[in-house]
Amino acid sequence: MTSTDLFVSPLGRVEGDLDVRVTITDGVVTDAWTEAAMFRGFEMILKGKDPQAGLIVTPRICGICGGSHLYKACYALDTAWKTHVPENATLVRNIAQACETLQSIPRYFYALFAIDLVNKNYAKSKLYDECVRRFAPYVGTAYQKGVVLSNKPVEVYALFGGQWPHSSFMVPGGVMSAPSLADITRATAILNHWKDNWLEAEWLGCSIDRWLEIKTWEDMLEWVEENESQYNSDCGFFIRYCLDVGLHKYGGGVGNYIAPGTYFEPSLYDHPTSEGRNAALIGRSGVYAGGKHFEYDHLRVSEDVSHSYFKGDRPLHPWEGETIPLDVEEARKAGKYSWAKSPRYDVPDLGRIPLEAGPLARRMAAGNPDRAEHQDYDPLFIDMMAKLGPSVFVRQMARMHEGPKYFKWVMDWLSRIDLHGSFYTKPEEPQSGKGFGATEAARGALQDWIVIEDGKIENYQVVTPTAWNIGPRDSNSTNGPIESALIGSPIVDIEDPVELGHVARSFDSCLVCTVHAYDGKTGRELNKFVVNGMV
Amino acid sequence: MSSVLWLQGGACSGNTMSFLNAEEPNVVDLIVDFGLELLWHPSLGLELGANAQKIFWDCARGDRPLDIFVFEGTVIEKDGYDVFAERQMKDWVTDLANAASIVVAIGDCACWGGIPAMEPNPSQSTGLQFHKRDKGGFLGPDWKSKAGLPVINIPGCPSHPDWITQIIVALATGRTADIALDDLHRPQTFFKTFTQTGCTRVQFFDYKQSTVSFGEGTRTGCLFYEFGCRGPMTHSPCNRILWNRQSSKTRAGMPCLGCTEPEFPFFDLNKGTVFKTQKISGVIPKEVPEGADHLTYMAQASAARIAAPQWSKEDMFVV
Repeated sequence: MTSTDLFVSPLGRVEGDLDVRVTITDGVVTDAWTEAAMFRGFEMILKGKDPQAGLIVTPRICGICGGSHLYKACYALDTAWKTHVPENATLVRNIAQACETLQSIPRYFYALFAIDLVNKNYAKSKLYDECVRRFAPYVGTAYQKGVVLSNKPVEVYALFGGQWPHSSFMVPGGVMSAPSLADITRATAILNHWKDNWLEAEWLGCSIDRWLEIKTWEDMLEWVEENESQYNSDCGFFIRYCLDVGLHKYGGGVGNYIAPGTYFEPSLYDHPTSEGRNAALIGRSGVYAGGKHFEYDHLRVSEDVSHSYFKGDRPLHPWEGETIPLDVEEARKAGKYSWAKSPRYDVPDLGRIPLEAGPLARRMAAGNPDRAEHQDYDPLFIDMMAKLGPSVFVRQMARMHEGPKYFKWVMDWLSRIDLHGSFYTKPEEPQSGKGFGATEAARGALQDWIVIEDGKIENYQVVTPTAWNIGPRDSNSTNGPIESALIGSPIVDIEDPVELGHVARSFDSCLVCTVHAYDGKTGRELNKFVVNGMV
Repeated sequence: MSSVLWLQGGACSGNTMSFLNAEEPNVVDLIVDFGLELLWHPSLGLELGANAQKIFWDCARGDRPLDIFVFEGTVIEKDGYDVFAERQMKDWVTDLANAASIVVAIGDCACWGGIPAMEPNPSQSTGLQFHKRDKGGFLGPDWKSKAGLPVINIPGCPSHPDWITQIIVALATGRTADIALDDLHRPQTFFKTFTQTGCTRVQFFDYKQSTVSFGEGTRTGCLFYEFGCRGPMTHSPCNRILWNRQSSKTRAGMPCLGCTEPEFPFFDLNKGTVFKTQKISGVIPKEVPEGADHLTYMAQASAARIAAPQWSKEDMFVV
């Protein structure tokens, strides 16, 4: 039996830089550490600032999901200031954030994930030549269309918000803009162009309605074989390729999921509160753990820093949360290894456990049959998980499944805007208060907790999807979700460990998206394999 | 054929995301049509771990020619706060900047520190050649690249994709000599004009008519008087070269935050400064358009208000 330590630094294309340390035994990953190596201290910067500073600062935590940062930062203020949000404003916020996600789906898939599918490890697949033709970076036929057209949905964001990335046009009480007729017609036309030229023509090979008829794994397999157009679409090809090279066999992770949900039914959330949030959601919230659905409750969230470069001796709810960085060298001696904190959720009967955030978590929440009329209900991934279990493949399909779904939602919201109605109600600006705002960035649960005192920010804590997924071990030495997902991955060539890339990237972690990002092991020789050299 | 290496320090990747929105050229055109050899990029690079590190070392040691070194994000000076490919990122920056023919800072963070360098600046972040408005930054005030140029600053939070791609095309097509820089090392072709140049609200500014509220209130008026818009004091082409080919913040009703200037975010976002015009005695704007003085401004404003026609007091951006 051979055991080697493999240290991969940097593992690019997780948006920001992630160092992964794994132990490989007989060609399989047996232990893993994910290390976030960069820290800017945004929560420290926000302390003492104007309450609305989060609308400007938090989008800059992550330029990939900046619109999502704005969305939840705004709801944190809406709940703290007890604002009134006109229905039009809720629709515009929904549209803008969903367009950011529609942008992310192809951009992430082709530019960040699929290019690894052309790795030489797969050269013996009979589908390899076709894979290279489609997915090779810059020159692949599918890469070119997918990446270039990914800029279209955010053109719609710009119509409402002025620009993407990094607008701050959502404010407590509504939005800054009021669209004209031409803004709405143009938005509709841009999205239809994107759907016609990428989503249906390239990705699906069928109408979005045909795709959304799929309710089970068998339906999906039948869909692939139904006709040549679907068989040869990027989606049909991707499914066949994954099954051929085995991406449905590893990368599963903790199997427990968190989704705070996103997008509100406007009439049900004109006075945003954290208590009224779950019922008003269209994109469902929920925790799925130990095979059961639980209602999402933000009070059950805490952050553990036992393996993070921060001071702290117990898990804290973010309203009481602290961000006190330690000297890295000293912290490493104490066994700490990451700038990411470890968010945990207190699940009834299961205790504080790590949960996976992201599209698969959203799909699990959407599979809960107990819902209101306005809420998403979609059993497809409950079925796929029962038959396939979690994997790199299932996680990818969950993400891609959201394209057709969100497209339909956005078109509906656009049609419901009352151009002659109100988009903003000027709020009172109380001198103190506590707020909670959350959303689903493309890559998962994104949440802010704000405490305002004396008209200034007393405490501001951001828990990103990347922190949920990439966080290190907690005080019980329980691995974070990506660490768990890496374990069990087969590594064909330790000189080119593409499987690690697949697993890490299937979480679409924007590492800079951890407010507290990381360090690799400095000074260590490159690709030095230490036999049984466990740390 | 120009070789480009693009790294990120204390970054949010916003400039990369903005760059990927580009058209004419888009990222594929840049590589396929303009022969740009993108050696590595954090989002687009193919290589992992050792293979990626070899590229950085080959460039740093001069074994592989590096034409353009692009840096996004702050230079984090505090030890242990930004480790990349097994070294402090700042050490990579020193080596690669000195090895490259031309160095380009993209976004406020790389230009002058941006938001991470706000008080209390926990990561000791700074820009490549400026710290806020002070020349110096990480590389020092007199630093020059191998081609004899200071760091070319393309600021903005984020930079507009055209500002990035057109400068890269200029560098790659032998037009380096045509890039005239201002005092802050910004290409004048983009940053001589004001954000207000081309703003659809400029007629309301001329007649001193204010927007009254956000939302439907932005169907009329200028955002300078009440909502802290920095359009008249900020140099950028945001209203000449539209964002995402569609709009701009000020057109949509959002006040300009002045994000192409080194002071962004202004007033350190202290209490009462966000989306609110800072005034003297509750009436007179503390800051008046560049080059104007308060006395002249007030005289002009009184005259303009008298001259204001009826339409300037009504909604213009209507359904």
